[in-house]
Amino acid sequence: MSEQITVVAEVRRHDPSQGGEPHYQRFEVTGVDSMRVLDVIRSIYEQQAGDLAYQFACRVGRCGTCAVKVNGVPVLACQERCKPEMRIEPLTPFPVLRDLVVDRSEVETRYAALKLSPQRSCAHPGAPEPIDPALAEKLCHLDLCLACMVCVSACPAVAERPFDGPAFMLKLRHMALHPADSADRLPQALEAGMLECFNCDLCTQLCPADLSPAQAVRDFRRQMIFGKGKP
Amino acid sequence: MRDSNDFILESADVLIAGSGAAGMRAAIAAHDAGAKVVLLAKGPRRANHTRMSGGRYNAVSGANAQDSVEAFYRDTVDSGMGINDHELARILADEAMQRAYDLESYGLAWDRTEARKYYLSMTGGGTFVRTLGSIDEGIGITEVMLHQLHARSVPIRDFHMLVDVVVGRDGRVAGALALDLSRGVWRYYRCPSVIIATGGTSQLYETSSGPAINTGDGIAIALRAGAELVDIEFMQFIPISFVSPPSARGYTLTEPAHYGMRHFDPQAEAAHLVNNKGERFVLAHDPVRKEGSTRDVLARAIMIEILAGRGTPEGGVLMLPDKAVFEAFLKERPTYVKRLLENYGEAQARLEAPIAVTPSALYTLGGVRIDPWCRSRVPGLYAAGEAAGGVHGANRLGGSSMPDIQVFGRRAGMAAAEEAKARGPVAAADGVSEARARAAALEACMQRSGGMRPVEVKKRVQKLMWDHVGLVRSGPKMEQTLRAFGDIRSQVLPAIKVTGASRILNREWMEYLELENMLDIAEAMVASSLLRKETRGAHYRTDYPELDPHWTANVWVRREGAATKVERHAAARPGAADMQPNEQKATAQ
Amino acid sequence: MSLALPRNTTRQSESMLLGDAARVLHRLSGTVIVVFVLVHVAAQAVLRAPALAGWNAAMPWLPVVQNQPWIHAVLYFSIVFHALYGLRLLATELGARIDYRRSLWIIVALAALAAVKELARYVA
Repeated sequence: MSEQITVVAEVRRHDPSQGGEPHYQRFEVTGVDSMRVLDVIRSIYEQQAGDLAYQFACRVGRCGTCAVKVNGVPVLACQERCKPEMRIEPLTPFPVLRDLVVDRSEVETRYAALKLSPQRSCAHPGAPEPIDPALAEKLCHLDLCLACMVCVSACPAVAERPFDGPAFMLKLRHMALHPADSADRLPQALEAGMLECFNCDLCTQLCPADLSPAQAVRDFRRQMIFGKGKP
Repeated sequence: MRDSNDFILESADVLIAGSGAAGMRAAIAAHDAGAKVVLLAKGPRRANHTRMSGGRYNAVSGANAQDSVEAFYRDTVDSGMGINDHELARILADEAMQRAYDLESYGLAWDRTEARKYYLSMTGGGTFVRTLGSIDEGIGITEVMLHQLHARSVPIRDFHMLVDVVVGRDGRVAGALALDLSRGVWRYYRCPSVIIATGGTSQLYETSSGPAINTGDGIAIALRAGAELVDIEFMQFIPISFVSPPSARGYTLTEPAHYGMRHFDPQAEAAHLVNNKGERFVLAHDPVRKEGSTRDVLARAIMIEILAGRGTPEGGVLMLPDKAVFEAFLKERPTYVKRLLENYGEAQARLEAPIAVTPSALYTLGGVRIDPWCRSRVPGLYAAGEAAGGVHGANRLGGSSMPDIQVFGRRAGMAAAEEAKARGPVAAADGVSEARARAAALEACMQRSGGMRPVEVKKRVQKLMWDHVGLVRSGPKMEQTLRAFGDIRSQVLPAIKVTGASRILNREWMEYLELENMLDIAEAMVASSLLRKETRGAHYRTDYPELDPHWTANVWVRREGAATKVERHAAARPGAADMQPNEQKATAQ
Repeated sequence: MSLALPRNTTRQSESMLLGDAARVLHRLSGTVIVVFVLVHVAAQAVLRAPALAGWNAAMPWLPVVQNQPWIHAVLYFSIVFHALYGLRLLATELGARIDYRRSLWIIVALAALAAVKELARYVA
């Protein structure tokens, strides 16, 4: 049976539409020790602060919409275990709508601009499209990206340089490997700042879906050097 | 209304509510048919139920020579215990594969054994190995579809909650009112057609598998707008879902872990389920199929054990998985192995230790009654996916919701675009004053100071539904529940208060709107459950524990004024409706 | 032999951010090397060029600094770390599959070994 614990959470509160300065509000929450950060946030909303704005939907690490910063590190609130003491903040560097919810519309605009559907030179055959099973598996893994923006938030290159972010590299790589896609994705990756990546693998470490956007960047760079495109 | 800045007028040909696969497929089809489409998402667009699914997809691909479209259709109707809308079930079986190719053309890579041969596996209830899948599951399906919407520049409005559909004086859809939660403003869309693709009502229950947004909004809105619901008493419960941690409680563990070798071979045994005494209690419920039985039987069997106090302290039973399938499970469903590891531990993730499981509300089998082109009774109002009813009958095959949302999402989009084209733009003034009045009424709770908070009432409804209108139902308890709902509606609802004054992302305000919808659906569910005096599929009554052939029938629900009317209608005879889908009816594709 | 499980990512905010650490170390070690080269050039200049002899007198601290064993240890650590980490970055970009966690610890260990060896020279 699980133990009970009491955690202290400092939550960043701010309503940009009302002006004023952001402040941190302190809450104590008691629950089972397997609680996730999301459980703590939900408990705060249900028991202590009915006016708290926060976002979640699937609660099992699939929709990617509950990402927040816990003690300065971007995580999925539904996956991260609660800590005895934690500071919960909205995901940076995105504009805050209110409290813990950020505006992702610019992210969606970027996805749209990258044209991430296969640019087909001929129509789908209406029968199983020939894709090598191992490649299909690889494509699926790349497509498991949650678009949660944890990697973009953590990326030091995004903070310092003109770089769209790791998540976009992963999606571009997905298309670059897709046999039905006829577009050249390398120039797009370059345009999106692929060369700015430090290759530090922080995105790999923090990805809640256990993917490696850094590897996608490395694959693009190798392609740039050796000229090898599709496998 | 504080001022006119809080009420914004917009227009569209086809307004779609819901950003899951049904809504997105409808948007693609309607856009391709030339309509100006706007898609509303209650949360961020990726917060949808499709994304949470295992993405397993029933279709007759030809990879299993024994299988046929006819067999898929028969499995659907058998599993639905004869009360499916046979025409819809036929369309599902006929068109599923074409829609699977559509997904592949969008960029999804189905699992393969060879370059041109799909990998198939079994799901609950099917007689043949037929189900497609992909490692990226529902995430992959929603991602490739989302990029199709991007490619078509279909506007997607995040944080826009559909509140009501307004029907004009001519009895046709005139527009729809939505609340833009991210800015706290109302938007009224003038549009000749609205597609409800808002998913199911699993949030009506204490323990549920779906996302927090599945509060049945669209179904309730359609009911209020004059549409009929069908078989809304049928709620599918999945037997195998997580017990802990609290946030993940109710989320499905999917079938591969439970099915064991049965995943590949219909004759093999599924993982055993035992209670706290170590007894295989399922044998008493289904001695033939044992743990390989259908979802409804298993879920009920587990629930009865838990109610009888033979469950684990956390409120579940134990599943003894077959570690022989671990390697295949890891390869095919790495995300699920990861979840088992994170929620339970390494031994469970390796399928080497007992896994605690509990039933949870998964899928709303009933919904808005539709015709083969997803039309409801109200001209201009369409429904598709989990929000629509009739396709699956009394119980759904595992892996049939994915083809359902693709097949009927597309049909809804095509038909709605055609309606918009035929009817032309809606007259400017139509419906605006009704929408304004409705919006003003929904602002009242923002000004109150006393009363209960929406979240408290929501939990009360969820508890009542779980205890009395869930897996085990009985007449007296449901009568009592119906009265309790009446009290909530007359006493509690008018006095609900919202804590925060901010209009931006005010969750309590949203929950108040959801609560009205939940209550509408909950009452409809109880009323139709009371009418159906038998046990069939997911609907189990202790006072009528037998299947009754008289009830090979559907229950229709509609609103007349404030009253809810429930009626029994004999299910359509299979032969009469067994016609081929009429592709000529719609113009596109 | 058991198959590797997916990674448990429920304690992300508790673990050390290796990428950040590596990047900071790479920059610091690079700075140390550049500073050393500059100091070295300056020291040689004031020793060898008669015209700068006056400067030498003005920098009595220089030999003291040069004779600090820990400074040599830091220098050796920096050179080894910077070189190996840089090579690792290059290798991965050319297609080598190197685990970022294990390789970082190995490189840090090797650099520390070089530093300890240098320290030992003074102690002995």
